Amino acid sequence: CFWKNQFPRAVEQSPELPALERKNWLIYLLYVRRDYEECKALIKEQLQESHGLCEYAVYVQALIFRLEGKIQESLELFQTCSILNPRSTDNLKQVARSLFLLGKHKAAIEVYNEAAKLDEKDWEISHNLGVCYMYLKHFNKARDQLNNALELSRHDLTYMMLGKIHLLEGEMDKAIEVYKKAVEFSPENADLLTTLGLLYLQLGDYQKAFEHLGNALTYNPGNYKATLAAGSMMQAHGDFDVALSKYRVVASTVPESPPLWNNIGMCFFGKKKYIAAISCLKRANYLAPFDWKILYNLGLVHLTMQQYASAFHFLSAAINFQPKMGELYMLLAVALTNLEDIENAKRSYEQAVALDKCNPLVNLNYAVLLYNQGDKKGALSQYQEMEKKVNALKESSTLDFDPEMVEVAQKMGAALQVGESLVWTKASKESKSKQKAALPGKSSSTQQSLGSNQALGQAMSSAAGYGKTMQLPSGTSLLLLFKV
Amino acid sequence: MGLEPEPLFQAWSYFRRRKFRQCSDLCSQLLEGPHGEQEPDSEYSVFQAAWSLKTRALTEMVYVDEIDMDQEEIAEMVLDENAIAQVARPGTSLKLPGTSQGGGPSPAVRPVTQSGRPITGFVRPSTQSGRPGTMEQAINTPLTARPITSASGRYIRLGTASMITNPDGPFINLSRLNLAKYAQKPKLAKALFEYIFHHENDIKNALHLAALATEHAQFKDWWWKVQIGKCYYRLGLYREAEKQFKSALKQQDMVDTILYLAKVYLRMDQPVTALNLFKQGLDRFPGEVTLICGIARIHEEMNNISSAAEYYKDVLKQDNTHVEAIACIGSNHFYSDQPEIALRFYRRLLQMGVYNCQLFNNLGLCCFYAQQYDMTLSSFERALFLAENEEETADVWYNLGHVAVGIGDLNLAYQCFKLTLVNNNDYAEAYNNLAVLEMRKGHIEQARALLQTASSLAPHMYEPHFNFAVLSEKVGDLQRSYTAAQKSEEAFPGHVDTQQLIKQLKQHFAML
Repeated sequence: CFWKNQFPRAVEQSPELPALERKNWLIYLLYVRRDYEECKALIKEQLQESHGLCEYAVYVQALIFRLEGKIQESLELFQTCSILNPRSTDNLKQVARSLFLLGKHKAAIEVYNEAAKLDEKDWEISHNLGVCYMYLKHFNKARDQLNNALELSRHDLTYMMLGKIHLLEGEMDKAIEVYKKAVEFSPENADLLTTLGLLYLQLGDYQKAFEHLGNALTYNPGNYKATLAAGSMMQAHGDFDVALSKYRVVASTVPESPPLWNNIGMCFFGKKKYIAAISCLKRANYLAPFDWKILYNLGLVHLTMQQYASAFHFLSAAINFQPKMGELYMLLAVALTNLEDIENAKRSYEQAVALDKCNPLVNLNYAVLLYNQGDKKGALSQYQEMEKKVNALKESSTLDFDPEMVEVAQKMGAALQVGESLVWTKASKESKSKQKAALPGKSSSTQQSLGSNQALGQAMSSAAGYGKTMQLPSGTSLLLLFKV
Repeated sequence: MGLEPEPLFQAWSYFRRRKFRQCSDLCSQLLEGPHGEQEPDSEYSVFQAAWSLKTRALTEMVYVDEIDMDQEEIAEMVLDENAIAQVARPGTSLKLPGTSQGGGPSPAVRPVTQSGRPITGFVRPSTQSGRPGTMEQAINTPLTARPITSASGRYIRLGTASMITNPDGPFINLSRLNLAKYAQKPKLAKALFEYIFHHENDIKNALHLAALATEHAQFKDWWWKVQIGKCYYRLGLYREAEKQFKSALKQQDMVDTILYLAKVYLRMDQPVTALNLFKQGLDRFPGEVTLICGIARIHEEMNNISSAAEYYKDVLKQDNTHVEAIACIGSNHFYSDQPEIALRFYRRLLQMGVYNCQLFNNLGLCCFYAQQYDMTLSSFERALFLAENEEETADVWYNLGHVAVGIGDLNLAYQCFKLTLVNNNDYAEAYNNLAVLEMRKGHIEQARALLQTASSLAPHMYEPHFNFAVLSEKVGDLQRSYTAAQKSEEAFPGHVDTQQLIKQLKQHFAML
């Protein structure tokens, strides 16, 4: 950090003026002890004695101002410093840093470039240049600068920024590479571990994600993000009680976090405690009215509770916030089917099929609807579409299918007389134990009861978004006062 | 025509049926008529009876119960130092907001009026909701249920109201009255005192009369003591008022006196004494609604919402149509994730025949959050229809905006918030929500301007500060972000996101 070499250098640079700099050691001592009040008094005294020419006093004063959040004042003082001693890279760097903190990134880059002319082997300059370029969205330049900084000297922060740039550009695998190196370099940094874990989670590599998140939690047990991510992974595997106990740890420290309440709600949903689930989810929704995942989950739970009007309401709200998702349209269509609005249900299914690329459930549900409407031909074509998707999925990944969905599909196949060559029978045996969020379907033998489009979507659980921008809370809802 | 009732009897009958205007007119006729035939031997003549009756009729026209009349003005809030302890222990003073021990809903859930004091369910004339620290702050912020005045503005307005009703000038010219003479006649004196106090609002003369009267009654009439106490209270002499009320209580246990004494204690910032007093009063009058309600109000003032709710429930056990208790419990349920129960309470109010904008607005909100979609919008429509002024309209549009956000229709929400601002230009919450919507559209500059407006209008709300901080941090302007985050922390110290943001910013400042 900055003060490590600050004091000796100040002394050796101005040996001819010992009177001016004679109390620098004391200023330094007070500053590093965080005794800012004393320090300021001493600085004032020193500046009066030296008529404002004591560079180190001005410098430390500026640092204190910056710590207090008065960036503008600190900038002015650092500028004074660099006038007093124009040959110093440190002064220039600090000026640039203050400019950066004020949001004047272009000006900061110029000053950093000047500083770089004086000292070419400084990693800080390269790092900060990289960050400035990142804010200006010049990602290529930023990456070069950050790589340069890494060559000069490796730091966690530089890795973090580099990873962020890759994520901003949408290159997930490169970002993972960067974070991997970073974790190798400093294996005890909980933030790095958490971010890497979340990235693996996004890719679906649960094993590695769990490993890294677990490490993060051992180093920092109260880490909110890691807890949330670990909990959501456990949820995905059905360990609802374990996940709940994890959430309980953070719930007291972060009582108003929408993702947390969302996940808790989905835990209850998994344990078939629907009322509790709804009340948790509604609290989450109250806190974050713009979050489509919570709305999706609310819709899902209400579908399960067979409250189709509410389900429609939440799902259509979710669609307004996230119009590009097939599953939402599918669930909306299920709700519409039960509200006896078949025309709109069909249109909603059309939209779902058009948007969705890999979820066979969409086609299956559509097929069921069409079959129930007597449109055997359309049902058959949807069924075939579903088979295509299932085949593709089987080739591409080890995802296993919801047993309930398989059951419905088999019946459907039998009804349509195409079901001999079922593609997933083997897969389904392995996945017997997996209980996913699906409707508790009525066991049925006739095709008629297929109508209650059984297998619904999976519950969404949100692992605290890392790449996303922070959610802005809206004003809380205002209940009017009751006047006499 | 049959029998014409005697005019005095007729006037008296009017008075008993609370037809004060007719009563007063009839009395005027009586007074103007010749009154030479009065019997000199009787102590009270017809003239005097009519005079007294007219006084009472005029008083009753503008009568407001003194117990509910409690309005602190700027001068009293800032300049008056009646509290003994300047830095009281938490939980023993009304002046320390944010000393919540009851575990009520946090500002993230329930809106606040001033820093730390959540909005209540029921606005009384004496609702204070936090105090300004300095004169400047007091002038710049609205605080009470009514527009605040510099000193006793409402009392003056009550006094002058009578001038308008009497085109030929005031009924009694106080300066020409010989108070000593009237004090000898208790039957006249009581009516006259009430007239002077409530109608003319001339505290000094009222006190003079009361002092003479109580002397005449040889200090044995508690009523006069209470009246003297009231006068002292109005004049700001709280210790003297306390003495009078206490002595009156010794003579005769009355609920009124207890309430007055509690008022004095509250003004002296001694809520615990007031609570004890109420509890003693409850021993004397078990189940007295006003006393329980007083306890509940004190708990609410001290931010102890959960025990306030307990006492309000006790009130409802005694009197299940108590509007204040129903409204407070209803709003409490609404903000603690139970909109269904809140809906039941507000529907109870509706059944009781309450019919106004606020109620329908609350019903609409409860219906929406309790997922009773069939009644939501019609309630809001009715609320809009019943709104009496633009502020109320603005409130309803604001809530409609929330409903629009709830169904995901952001354009509608945008229009609703805009309409809120059209109706009430100082609506900070609407500015904030508009800014969030602008943010979602990517209009950063507009959002910034709106947030700045919001935070200058309502510095006690944490949302605009926090949103501004997040916005600035995103653009890279860490200086402004830090200042805004600090303000946000001041407004809502327990906000986790703010704390994280500040931590992050401090790291930036300390680094390198």
